Amino acid sequence: MQASRARLFKEYKEVQREKAVDPEIQLICDDSNIFKWTALIKGPSETPYEGGVFQLALVVPEQYPLQPPQVRFLTKIFHPNVHFKSGEICLDILKTAWSPAWTLQSVCRAIIALMAHPEPDSPLNCDSGNLLRSGDIRGYQSMARMYTRLAAMPKKG
Amino acid sequence: MAMANKKDEEGSSPSNDFDPCPICLGPFRDDAYLDRCFHKFCYSCIVSWSKFVANQHSQRQLSLKCPLCKTDNFSVVYGCNGDSFERYYLNQESSEKNFFSRDHKYRLRCYYREPGAIYEKFNIQQYWRFSRYLQPNKWLHLWLRREIQALIQEEDVEIIVHHILGVIESFAKMNETGRSKGTPETKREEFKKLVSDAARPFLVGRADRFASEIELFLSSGMNIEAYDKVYLQSLGISSGDGAESNIQDQTPAVPYLHFFDNDSDTD
Repeated sequence: MQASRARLFKEYKEVQREKAVDPEIQLICDDSNIFKWTALIKGPSETPYEGGVFQLALVVPEQYPLQPPQVRFLTKIFHPNVHFKSGEICLDILKTAWSPAWTLQSVCRAIIALMAHPEPDSPLNCDSGNLLRSGDIRGYQSMARMYTRLAAMPKKG
Repeated sequence: MAMANKKDEEGSSPSNDFDPCPICLGPFRDDAYLDRCFHKFCYSCIVSWSKFVANQHSQRQLSLKCPLCKTDNFSVVYGCNGDSFERYYLNQESSEKNFFSRDHKYRLRCYYREPGAIYEKFNIQQYWRFSRYLQPNKWLHLWLRREIQALIQEEDVEIIVHHILGVIESFAKMNETGRSKGTPETKREEFKKLVSDAARPFLVGRADRFASEIELFLSSGMNIEAYDKVYLQSLGISSGDGAESNIQDQTPAVPYLHFFDNDSDTD
């Protein structure tokens, strides 16, 4: 518990310092609980998520960094590896391939990379996975772009 | 090395060359290296990670993937002081060695050093002259257990402790009844020979020093806590705050300073 707190505090300081360095990621720590974080990540360019800002909820376990944080999308996203309703993310480093050398910041980077490189063979969102697997790239892209516009961009007018 | 890092951090603005442990993100405490890829971590960080991984698998893990590069490693090399190093094998039972505390470590370290100033601290002659060995020492049992645990790095040493205690008690008894005559010096010799002979099957080359350390502890007449304090002081190590560790770190003769200062990384 103490170790996780100390480490999170170091990450917090690092985040304060690095803010300008990584404009794709904004990590915000809960005011009263260092084990609860929110992240705002920018949809990577040249993907259907471009232009969107996606909100993630990170819940850090007491055993952190021995255990990975639990991360899910709060913003709706159409992506084969993200559960459409719960926002749960299927990403190996958040499960079996976790290493204590990852940080909240690098986890966010990994999620951005996942957005750019979906893995349709282990889908949490079957509709999205099936579109990609059947080769309907246009179908997948237009669906994903639509949801980005609906959920991840500021409302127009 | 740990100090250098700390200085970097405190000194100029947190600079980019500050190189933290990848697991705790703090300055390295007790440098430890994986044996294949040589990535560096705090000893306690990499060991707790290896235990965590081991607990997640029902089968015994023979190796540990490096958290940085995923290379399979078989042991953690730590305690490098130029002359020697120690190894922690990753395939041992996960519960093993939990008993081995900082205090054990300091006791073991003492045996790597020449018996020095501490032997001047207590009046050993007086101990023998006034036959103070006739009074039982109520801390001896605990002290012996820790000492032997530290030396052989096993948790269950009760049989050896009883054996040594028995030898010491029978020595006292023999002298009490006055059957054994002799000067304080011969008694002293006799005591040390008895104890080191009794300890030799278990401690081998360290048996003689072990006998001297027992004598020293008994002569001090102190409880374990107070004794440790005096002992550490005479080694030039304070168990207190980390402010003094600056001076200590410049004394290369004292390895493992960082075991003794409290986590001074309080920023």
